[in-house]
This record gives sequence, structure tokens and C-alpha cells, in this order.
Amino acid sequence: MIQHFDPKQHAKQAEHSKDLGTPFPSQTVGTASVSLAIDGVTISVPEGTSVLRAAALADINIPKLCATDSLEPFGSCRLCAVQVEGRRGLPAACTTPVAEGMKVTTQNERLAKLRRNVMELYISDHPLDCLTCPANGDCELQDMAGSVGLREVRYGFTGENHLDAVKDESNPYFSFDSSKCILCSRCVRACDEVQGTFALTIDGRGFDSKVSAGQNNAFMDSDCVSCGACVQACPTATLMEKSVIDHGVPDRSVVTTCAYCGVGCSFEAQMKGDQLVRMVPYKGGDANHGHSCVKGRFAFGYATHPDRLTTPMIRDSIDQPWREVSWEEAIGFAASRLKAIQAEHGRESIGGITSSRCTNEETYLVQKLIRAAFGNNNTDTCARVCHSPTGYGLKTTLGESAGTQTFDSVMKADAIIVIGANPTDAHPVFGSLMRKRLRQGAKLIVADPRRIDLLKTPHLGEAQHLPLRPGTNVALVNALGHVVVTEGLEDKAFVAKRCDTDAYNRWREFIAEPRHSPEASEAITGVPAKAVRQAARTYASAGNGAIYYGLGVTEHSQGSTMVMGIANLALATGNIGREGVGVNPLRGQNNVQGSCDMGSFPHELPGYQHVADPIARGRFESVWGVTLDDEPGLRIPNMFDAAIEGTFKALYVQGEDIAQSDPNTQHVEAALTSLDCLIVQDIFLNETAKFAHVLLPGSSFLEKNGTFTNAERRINRVRKVTPPVAGKEDWEVTQDLANALGYPMHYTHPSEIMDEIAQLTPSFAGVSYAKLEERGSLQWPCNAEYPLGMPTMHEVDFPIGLGRFAITEYVATEERANRRFPLLLTTGRILSQYNVGAQTRRTDNQRWHDEDVLELHPSDAELRGVRDGDWLGITSRSGQTVLRARLSERMQPGVVYTTFHHPGSGANVITTDNSDWATNCPEYKVTAVQVEKVSQPSAWQQRFSTFDLIQRDHLANAHQEAP
Amino acid sequence: MSLQKDTHLIHMTNQIAANLGGGRDAETVAAATCHHLETFWARSMKHRLVATLECEDSELSPMARRAVTLLAERLAKRHAG
Repeated sequence: MIQHFDPKQHAKQAEHSKDLGTPFPSQTVGTASVSLAIDGVTISVPEGTSVLRAAALADINIPKLCATDSLEPFGSCRLCAVQVEGRRGLPAACTTPVAEGMKVTTQNERLAKLRRNVMELYISDHPLDCLTCPANGDCELQDMAGSVGLREVRYGFTGENHLDAVKDESNPYFSFDSSKCILCSRCVRACDEVQGTFALTIDGRGFDSKVSAGQNNAFMDSDCVSCGACVQACPTATLMEKSVIDHGVPDRSVVTTCAYCGVGCSFEAQMKGDQLVRMVPYKGGDANHGHSCVKGRFAFGYATHPDRLTTPMIRDSIDQPWREVSWEEAIGFAASRLKAIQAEHGRESIGGITSSRCTNEETYLVQKLIRAAFGNNNTDTCARVCHSPTGYGLKTTLGESAGTQTFDSVMKADAIIVIGANPTDAHPVFGSLMRKRLRQGAKLIVADPRRIDLLKTPHLGEAQHLPLRPGTNVALVNALGHVVVTEGLEDKAFVAKRCDTDAYNRWREFIAEPRHSPEASEAITGVPAKAVRQAARTYASAGNGAIYYGLGVTEHSQGSTMVMGIANLALATGNIGREGVGVNPLRGQNNVQGSCDMGSFPHELPGYQHVADPIARGRFESVWGVTLDDEPGLRIPNMFDAAIEGTFKALYVQGEDIAQSDPNTQHVEAALTSLDCLIVQDIFLNETAKFAHVLLPGSSFLEKNGTFTNAERRINRVRKVTPPVAGKEDWEVTQDLANALGYPMHYTHPSEIMDEIAQLTPSFAGVSYAKLEERGSLQWPCNAEYPLGMPTMHEVDFPIGLGRFAITEYVATEERANRRFPLLLTTGRILSQYNVGAQTRRTDNQRWHDEDVLELHPSDAELRGVRDGDWLGITSRSGQTVLRARLSERMQPGVVYTTFHHPGSGANVITTDNSDWATNCPEYKVTAVQVEKVSQPSAWQQRFSTFDLIQRDHLANAHQEAP
Repeated sequence: MSLQKDTHLIHMTNQIAANLGGGRDAETVAAATCHHLETFWARSMKHRLVATLECEDSELSPMARRAVTLLAERLAKRHAG
């Protein structure tokens, strides 16, 4: 024995910095440890570990090509052959599990000869253009040739080969150069095992074998979703980022957090100087474990797009061109306007909107500015229009406004219910994890008006689809609850121990009423009673039942009721408080959870502490040095109403595009036009900015420090990799505005803001940048009781003590189809675009979705004489817009669907003012419409187009006037 | 415009009362609705809503009217206290 190595001590660090060859053994039974000797080094590893991985953990690096630790071992390249004492032959280390007392030799003359021979064969059919190859310096094949000491290729290079294979350049982000392929199948396996799309295959046999994106398709024409897993897995330059081909291999990297969806993937921003060359998903990221999607991995070009605002600008009215000014002048102008308006119209006549895309620190600062410097509680966030019902519903029933699990928890779920969410498009990295669990045999129940792609998961065993009518969620969840109660599927022990008895008894009596039976509600929901009964039985008796939901739950007139109905279901079946279960809201934007946590809502200070609570308010007052208003302020829709009425005169909007994202666009436009001062801080001239008087250039997530909190309450660091294009990080701008208003703020780094958050927010008490550096990420609550955070909530009790069942009366939405508006429009997202599209529309993601379309069922189309591609006028009680038709059997007859990624589409011109009763979250998911063939854009679209041109012109003129 | 806003506030209040119903007795629903308005609504909206009580034939549902009456009492008490 030369030395003893303890892998536990170094495991985490080693796992992130090097490729261990095979994954952590997934089939480990218990925690049995196995000891073996590799080249004389004794090592103990978990049972099921491969020899390759065990060696790598001991820093013994066995050559390998087809193995990588993100994929199951394959054993095809033979390069990792080893010699095992007492065994015949030279087994592949990647497919050989460790055994107690095993003695392994990884290097001797026989092994060296075998490896050189293997490499010689590979290189005999591989271009020798290393010096000009884009992977030069970052090529495993090159490394292995060096490692095995390959010095000659005896076969020559003149024989039949693949060197002239044609490149597939169809994908905008990566090229496929088949001549460099060694057929290790890592790309195919990554597509299958990691992404779960099964787009790639090895086509042909023997010498003709080649990687193919299905039936000889080009990548762009195939099922490929451009997640980048294949590019990541490729050991050569076969699948290579075009940005690396163009700029060369990066020379440094910084770990940061993606600024797209609420999964919050960790990435290595790989740089050359100040230039971002590529984003590579970080293996040490606790949310994504090294996986990514087309947005996070590739769609970062917007950060350097020529449309970026780089200079502060002001103007007196929106019919004037912009004037480029200094930061001081812009901030001074904004502050004097705000003060003058408050002097004339009162303290409550101004407010602000924090961003769910900005960092926690920036969000905290904006609400602090509003509460402390504006002197009112007129603060809100775009979470108002997405997950505010989650906050209300989960706080009422479970006592905390957050999801209960980690993403990894899904790997222990036996039955998964997905309601009103489309994870493969909107939360793709989590969608892939969910698909992985489904391939392992978990049962799937999807409640959605559309047949979402998750239902198409290959190898899916039992998939149930409950295609309910839009607006009938609560009737469905009540029917599910009814079956649980009346068929004796409750977890009575859990309910007795963990839930409030009176509330439970009231709910039980309510839900057991025959009017909630699946048979009675079938007429409302359109879902056959039998299917509802089967779904309830599956969920309640599976063992671990987990519910995941999205905006298809919250964006309804009964969004909050539905969230409570989901919590009721989880409580009644005991599916709370351990891994594999839970109530899991899938958050749309990167920092929706964080913006809610940071006190963006008008009634709550950071940490969901009500403004009327004198003790909580007192703590803030003593640290902030001001007296705070004890009454809630206006919510976003209330601000719009007040603006139109003339009592609300100024608004500060950071990183949101309310003119495009909020419902009833014409109402929003009327409100914005009514303002005397609109201050917009953004990275682009977005739709809202066209109505602004002050334009403050924002910084992208690459240009600042801070933290984001993802849908699993995970606080992740955002790290600055390049300087802000306009010279200031967003928090600095807010601070300047506060100072100009006479309220002093003197932070020098976002870590100081986090220290203040920790001081004032009980659930963040243990959070600091130092601890985040040390731990990588933390899931709140993180405090004295849980110093390392809490991955699974409610394991012992609820923040309110006992779980509280809520009565969930179904109250039908007032937005109903009738003869004039016979169809129901519902809205959603697609994979390649993100939210209002401000970022993704400025990238090559446009290639997948350059316009929003109206999906409708062929029978509805036939009834109206509509063919695929026709222009359709879509009219609701709010307005009209025109989109191209796309016939789709994913839709049920009577329901049409669109997205809102392009401003000119006017999807929100037709959505209405209806909103959730408890939170005013808009009812985006139900709008009664009529559609008919038309030949020209709607009146609104024509006005939009003209206004857009004028505003762009005003911006262009500002640039021209600059010195 | 202001009449339209009153109508909107009344509509929202009716919606809250209807959703907090669910077979509970009238006084409980009214109290829950009042509590909701007090907890989540802005000062200006509360005052505006209370002012609509003067209009006998407003669209406030009986349950909502009771809740707003309770709210008026609480606001008056607070103002006095």
C-alpha cells in the first residue's frame, strides 16, 4: 500500500473539476462501501462504482474515450482496458464494477500496447489537422493520442475513409463535422439519457455507421431541440460550438447562473478576455447537474446585441426624441420629477415595479427605495401576473409561499401529476429530469387542455391525460379530492398528526358532497369521470405522489383556489414532507421566487412579513431609519386603474415589459400614456420604454454580481464576467436614484445588500456570500436552525404548525364562450423563446419561432374554412389581433392557443381584465374569442407598427445628436 | 371614469366574497372577506370601496356589502384610535 485515499474528503471538489468517467452509481443498494487496490493505492468507494470512476477518484487517470461521467458506461472504445488480478483478459474499466479486495493494474506494457493499437485505428480515419482544428487544445482524442504515446499510424491514410464527409452547418449554434467522428456514441447517449429527446441515432452498420439526426435529416430538420448535451458530450470537434470555431478555445471561466427560466441552471461562462465565447452547463450546479437547454446554453448573444442601450436618456414627453445625457443628469431629472409629482399629487401618487429577472439584491433595493424613499408601499413585481396565487395559496395551506422540494426529488416520485405546465418547453432542464424518471417507470398524469410533449416521452409506461376545458381547474381538483375521500385513499395517520382537525373536517364534509364527484363535474370539466377516478387512485396509491404545476394553474380567476386545492390533495394523501412528493410550482422567470421573497409585493416586506405587523415593520424601520407605511400599496393592475383615473402619476420600472406582458394591452397603454413620469431601466428599448420619459440602461446578468433564487428556493450566485455596457450595475442605478431623492444608500457591493437582507429576513438569516462561495448554493430557509438550508420543506411541521385544509368552492369564470365568442383562447410558451422575447428575439433562436401563431383544431378550422397558414382575425371582448393559423391536433376542439413572444402579435390585446379573486393575477388562460379569415393586420397592429416606428426614430435621433 | 373604477372595485369585492363562500355561514364569509380586503388592498382602494356603501343600489352582493360595512367599521375604529 502506498497511501490511503479518502474519496469523501475530495469527492465534491473532484467531481466538479474532472470527468470521472462514469456517473455516481445509481443502483447502489444501501451505502455499502467496497475497498480495492488500484495500482497499489487502496480506495473505498460505494458499491456499484466502476473501476474507471474509482481510479479517477484516486487521481489515477485511465485513458478513455467513449466514457464520460454524465452517461452510463458503454464499453465500446476499449481504451480504458485494465488488468484485474485473478481475472482473464483486459476488461473495460468503465463497465467493470468494483469488488471487495480487487487488485487492478491500469498501466503495464500489455495495456499500453493495446491502447496504442486502439488509438492507431482511430487516427487512421481521422483528419490530421490538429493545428487548425477548432478543438485544438480542447480535444479528448488529441489528449488520448498523447496519453497513450501514439507515434505512428502503420495503416497509412490512403485507404477508404470518412475524411470527405460533408459538414452539417444547419444549426445556428453548432456544426456537425462527421469526418471527425469516432463513433463513441456519446452524443447519441446524451440525447437519450440526459435530454430524453432520442433525436440522434447511429445510422448504418460497420464502416458505413454514422451519427444521424434521424432518417438522414439535417440537425435543424430533425427532432433535435438544441439543448447542447451532444456538443457537451462530444470528445472531438465533431459537434462544436460555432462560437468556438469563430473565436477559438476560451481561456478562463466563471461559474454563474442562467438568467432565463426558474430552473436556475449553473453555467461556466467561458471567456477570452472580456468576450464570452460559450456557456457550458456546470456539472457542480445543484439544479441542473451539467445539463442545459437551447436558451441558457446558446442564446446569450443578446448581451452584446447592437440594440443594447448604452447611454441614459430623458425627454419631457413621449412625442419627443430622446436626449442622451450623463448618468447624473438622468438621475437628477428622474428624482426632481418624482419629487414634484409627490408635492402636487401626494405621497401615494408614485410607485415602482421590481423585476423577476433582476437579482435578489436589486429587487430588494427597488422595494426599499419605494418603501423608504417614495414613502409608500406601491411596489409590485411581475410575479403578480404569474405566481402571486402560489404565494397566497401555499401560505394559506402550508404556511410558506414556496415549493416544497428540490428538483432532484422527482427522481423518487412514483406518480407525477403535471397541471397547467409544459416543462419540456418552459423548464426544459427539469423536463429532461422528469422524463428520466418517467423512463424509469414513474406514472404520469397530465391535466391540461393541450396534449403537451411530455406525454410523448419514449418508453413511458402509463400516461394519463385529463384534457380539461380552460377555466375548470378547481372543479377537476375538487373531483380528485372527492375520489380520495370517498374511496378511502386518504393518509389518515398523516392528516391526524400533521393537519388542523377542524379545517380538515370542514374540508372533508365539503369535498365529499356529491356535487364534487367526477360524474357530477364531468359536464363542467369535459374530463370523463372514469379518467378522473383512475388519476386520483394512481396518485394516492403510488407511494410517492408529486404534483408539479405552472401558470395553467395560477393565471385564472380562481388561481389561488386551485393552488389551495392542490395543497389539499397533497395533504389528504400525505404527500408532503419527504423526498419524491410535494407541491411544486414551476416558476416562469429566473428570479420569480426571489422577487417574491425580497418583499416586492405591496403588502409584504422581505420574507413575507406583512406591512401591518408592527414588530416586523419596526425592525425594518430601525435599520432603514424611516417610518414605514403600515397599509398595503397598489398592485400592478391597481396602478394602471389609478393612472387612468389620474391619481397615480409616476412609475419606476426595472427590467419588466408591462406593455407587452400584461393583459388587455390597450388598457395598459392608456395607463402608461396617462403617467407624467415613466422611468424605465432596461437593457433594450422594450415596449414599455417607448412610453417612458427617462431611460436608464440596464446591465445583463453577465455584467453584475448578485444572486437568483430558483423554483426550488435555491439561492445561486450570479457573477460578473464582463463590465456593464453602460457603466453601472442595476443596483447602483437604484442606489443613485435613492440618494438623489434624499434617502441615503451607500452599498459598495451586492454582498452588503445580502447582509442586510439576512439581518431583516428570518428565512435568509444564515445566508451570506461567504457561505454561498463555500456551499455553491443554499435553499432557504437558511438560519440558525437550518444553517445549510432546507432541501425538503415541512418534514417535521409547517411554519403555521399544522397543515390547513382550505374550502375550494368552484366559481366559474365570468369569461365564457357564447355565440359571439364561441372559442376559448389559452396562452403559453414555446421552447426557443423566453417570455416577451426581448432577449431570445435578439438571438438565432428566432430561427425556430419568428412569429406567434394561433393553433386551432382542424375541425374548428374546417368549420371556418381556415387552412394552415391563413391570416386569422382573433376577436375577444377586449380587442382584436391578427395571427397566422396553425392547425394542430394537440388542441381540443373549441380551444385555441397562442404565445406572446413577439410584441407585434398583440396576444395581450385580446386577453381581458379578469383576474384571480385573491391576488389580481390576470386570467391569461381563458379568453372567449371568435376567429375568422382576414386579409390585413388589426387596427391595433397598424397603430402599434406606426408607434413603434416613431419611437425607434426617436431613439435613433438621440444617437445622432450625441457628441 | 371614477364610476367605472367603483364598479371595478365592487366587482372584485363580490368575487372575493363568492370565493370565500363555500357553504360557510354569512357572518363568517363577511368577516373573511373584510379581513382579505384589510390585508391586501391599498388604503385608497379601501376608502373608495367604503364610500360606495352610500349608494344603496350599487352592485355589491349582500355578502360583499356586509363585508364592506365591517371594513368601514374597522377603518373608522382605526381612525379614531
